[in-house]
Amino acid sequence: AAAAAATAAAAASIRERQTVALKRMLNFNVPHIKNSTGEPVWKVLIYDRFGQDIISPLLSVKELRDMGITLHLLLHSDRDPIPDVPAVYFVMPTEENIDRMCQDLRNQLYESYYLNFISAISRSKLEDIANAALAASAVTQVAKVFDQYLNFITLEDDMFVLCNQNKELVSYRAINRPDITDTEMETVMDTIVDSLFCFFVTLGAVPIIRCSRGTAAEMVAVKLDKKLRENLRDARNSLFTGDTLGAGQFSFQRPLLVLVDRNIDLATPLHHTWTYQALVHDVLDFHLNRVNLEESSGVENSPAGARPKRKNKKSYDLTPVDKFWQKHKGSPFPEVAESVQQELESYRAQEDEVKRLKSIMGLEGEDEGAISMLSDNTAKLTSAVSSLPELLEKKRLIDLHTNVATAVLEHIKARKLDVYFEYEEKIMSKTTLDKSLLDIISDPDAGTPEDKMRLFLIYYISTQQAPSEADLEQYKKALTDAGCNLNPLQYIKQWKAFTKMASAPASYGSTTTKPMGLLSRVMNTGSQFVMEGVKNLVLKQQNLPVTRILDNLMEMKSNPETDDYRYFDPKMLRGNDSSVPRNKNPFQEAIVFVVGGGNYIEYQNLVDYIKGKQGKHILYGCSELFNATQFIKQLSQLGQK
Amino acid sequence: MAVDITLLFRASVKTVKTRNKALGVAVGGGVDGSRDELFRRSPRPKGDFSSRAREVISHIGKLRDFLLEHRKDYINAYSHTMSEYGRMTDTERDQIDQDAQIFMRTCSEAIQQLRTEAHKEIHSQQVKEHRTAVLDFIEDYLKRVCKLYSEQRAIRVKRVVDKKRLSKLEPEPNTKTRESTSSEKVSQSPSKDSEENPATEERPEKILAETQPELGTWGDGKGEDELSPEEIQMFEQENQRLIGEMNSLFDEVRQIEGRVVEISRLQEIFTEKVLQQEAEIDSIHQLVVGATENIKEGNEDIREAIKNNAGFRVWILFFLVMCSFSLLFLDWYDS
Repeated sequence: AAAAAATAAAAASIRERQTVALKRMLNFNVPHIKNSTGEPVWKVLIYDRFGQDIISPLLSVKELRDMGITLHLLLHSDRDPIPDVPAVYFVMPTEENIDRMCQDLRNQLYESYYLNFISAISRSKLEDIANAALAASAVTQVAKVFDQYLNFITLEDDMFVLCNQNKELVSYRAINRPDITDTEMETVMDTIVDSLFCFFVTLGAVPIIRCSRGTAAEMVAVKLDKKLRENLRDARNSLFTGDTLGAGQFSFQRPLLVLVDRNIDLATPLHHTWTYQALVHDVLDFHLNRVNLEESSGVENSPAGARPKRKNKKSYDLTPVDKFWQKHKGSPFPEVAESVQQELESYRAQEDEVKRLKSIMGLEGEDEGAISMLSDNTAKLTSAVSSLPELLEKKRLIDLHTNVATAVLEHIKARKLDVYFEYEEKIMSKTTLDKSLLDIISDPDAGTPEDKMRLFLIYYISTQQAPSEADLEQYKKALTDAGCNLNPLQYIKQWKAFTKMASAPASYGSTTTKPMGLLSRVMNTGSQFVMEGVKNLVLKQQNLPVTRILDNLMEMKSNPETDDYRYFDPKMLRGNDSSVPRNKNPFQEAIVFVVGGGNYIEYQNLVDYIKGKQGKHILYGCSELFNATQFIKQLSQLGQK
Repeated sequence: MAVDITLLFRASVKTVKTRNKALGVAVGGGVDGSRDELFRRSPRPKGDFSSRAREVISHIGKLRDFLLEHRKDYINAYSHTMSEYGRMTDTERDQIDQDAQIFMRTCSEAIQQLRTEAHKEIHSQQVKEHRTAVLDFIEDYLKRVCKLYSEQRAIRVKRVVDKKRLSKLEPEPNTKTRESTSSEKVSQSPSKDSEENPATEERPEKILAETQPELGTWGDGKGEDELSPEEIQMFEQENQRLIGEMNSLFDEVRQIEGRVVEISRLQEIFTEKVLQQEAEIDSIHQLVVGATENIKEGNEDIREAIKNNAGFRVWILFFLVMCSFSLLFLDWYDS
């Protein structure tokens, strides 16, 4: 039975766990039971921005409604008093939030209060609330107070980020600023560790931590180890001993936490990508599983330029319920375009079927034989009627993906991203280049200045020896001519000088991308998405540095790159790096956490890697999720100093 | 995992309280109050709306309990054949149907009333939204309970239909006894049990086989005069033919019944959809009316514009003519 419980726990993804925890909280901290004829209850939900970010990727408004939430309001908005309704608060325990809650208590806004804090509240703040409750004589109205330990945002079944609101605080720039003080660094680390701790509480498992030496990741590891240790020592109040959670606790296997510093691989976040999800994140405004599209509504349709182009903003949710998205988020883009086309066709076929049925009914209705036809068709009609909502939903999804894919395609065409992608892949795999770098940089048609900068940075990062000064000057001139800001390059130069001392630059594994054969291109020309001029590139499996590190650590392979990684086991009583008896078995479950920002490329790469391994799971986390534009911005800020 | 720190909170309330006392800080209301008074519920006027909403919910809850309580008896349509076990007659069932329907209607009326009242009072936007959502919840609840009812009613109807189908196959005398049993069940039930139970399970052919000898006895009773073997043979053939006809008729009827059930199910779906669409159609209607108004206004405007345009043209023409005249005049004057 224990084994069964263990497998069940392993099967429950972090996303499910967090959703269950949220539902439980919304249900006044009683496990949620689905009951078809239960009496309805109603309550209002009050959250702050942090709470909103946590809830929004997991629960839709409809699901909130099903949970009995009539209103969901921000804590710091104007809220009218609603008597006779319990209020569920879901907020961070910050000063201003506490002040606002005290104010609510004084103003007697609601009937009763269920206070839930995203991460642990300190004693003094709790006393502040107690004071306010006493002053308002509303102590009995505070029905429950809970620490939820949910301070992280789950985006996918196996992906999470720490926070979204104050992500500048834990960004790559914040960690790598040269002028950062020790106390500032402490706060950054504390924020990261607090969120990671929440993550492991929700996961219900104590990990074995590995990290590289002498990086920010090591600091995180030390602190996290300490925090977990402290919590485990106090056996009575430990968060890891309850029987509701932690089947992982009793199972034989413990997860491996690999803490990776962004500095080991700077090329990947700059890389142009070719898979759907990463492309959407790279070129569109994709944020907490929601993509915002700006559509210029039909320039051709508007009367002769009389009015300025009206921008039409649309936002779509890309949720795990969306089967198409689930299936294709990791596929290369041309494949996605093709599949959208196929889906569209199958949908049309179904629609035609329904229409045909309708016409038969209409025609046959006049004849004497109508009744027999009718009854023959009743079964069909029933199935058609019941399949209609499904069909509508399908249509909505197809529309969504058509729009998103078209928008992505526009970007690809405008910026020649396919060329960049192919070229960068070649640089990273160190194959011979058929076109000089200078040509692309000085080509005015190809891409934005930012794309050029990215390309050059990747080249600069991944070459073994730096180009000579004269060459560099030439490149710089070309880049400035193309309108690039050279600040990022400044920083990368420093970084490279620094890492060269520390270690040899990581190699990116040999891969090749090939343009698809002529034949298959002819086959694809039927596609409605006019992919002309866009090369149909096929990805070959390659492992990024992060994936390789994980592979080494998970399989206990010996590799100079990872052999000196530090080892922490919070369950061991005395933590000493050398004396700890190490776990020699390969791990079944691993969590990769990138300190200093991650991206969808690495996530996708890890997912692809683990697909080939039976019975293994990987979770990918990062302190913030940025795309290349945001990353370049941070680099240039760093370069200015 | 969530950690309950309510006790911690209560404890800190106490510490704060003792501290305040020690410092002599006056805390509004709570300072002289004993523990009971402290934890006493602060008197708040119970809102009219929510108490009424709760009332409606409890009504619906009662209906649900009532339905669930009688569900078993209600569904069991064969019960009157086994009178010891059956506790509910058809009239009682009808009574339940009627009561439930009346109850549902009153509930939905109450909700409707609440809705109008909730919107009549002037409230802030949020309160209004909240109330709408609450009423939606209640309506949804009522719908779920109604579904419970309609499900068991559908089962009942189906069972009755099944039963009728079986009883049609049974020979005349039996149906007669059955009619009598329905009025006075107790006396005849054992004998009926033995007759009907096999009938429900066996195939129609067997039942037909049973009927044949009875037809034979009829023939015996009717005429004293002997029938010739040819005549008997003829009658038998005719019987066979009749039975075949009956069989095919019966099959058809059964098919038709199945279809009718299906159609009724479809009908149900359609009604639901139509009801759903009602609101939408209403809003569309409103929009259409608005659009018509707009178009009318637009037409007016256009007409106005045309008129203005024409007037303007006349003026321009006039001006030009005047200009040319003045030019002519100047020319004439100059020369």
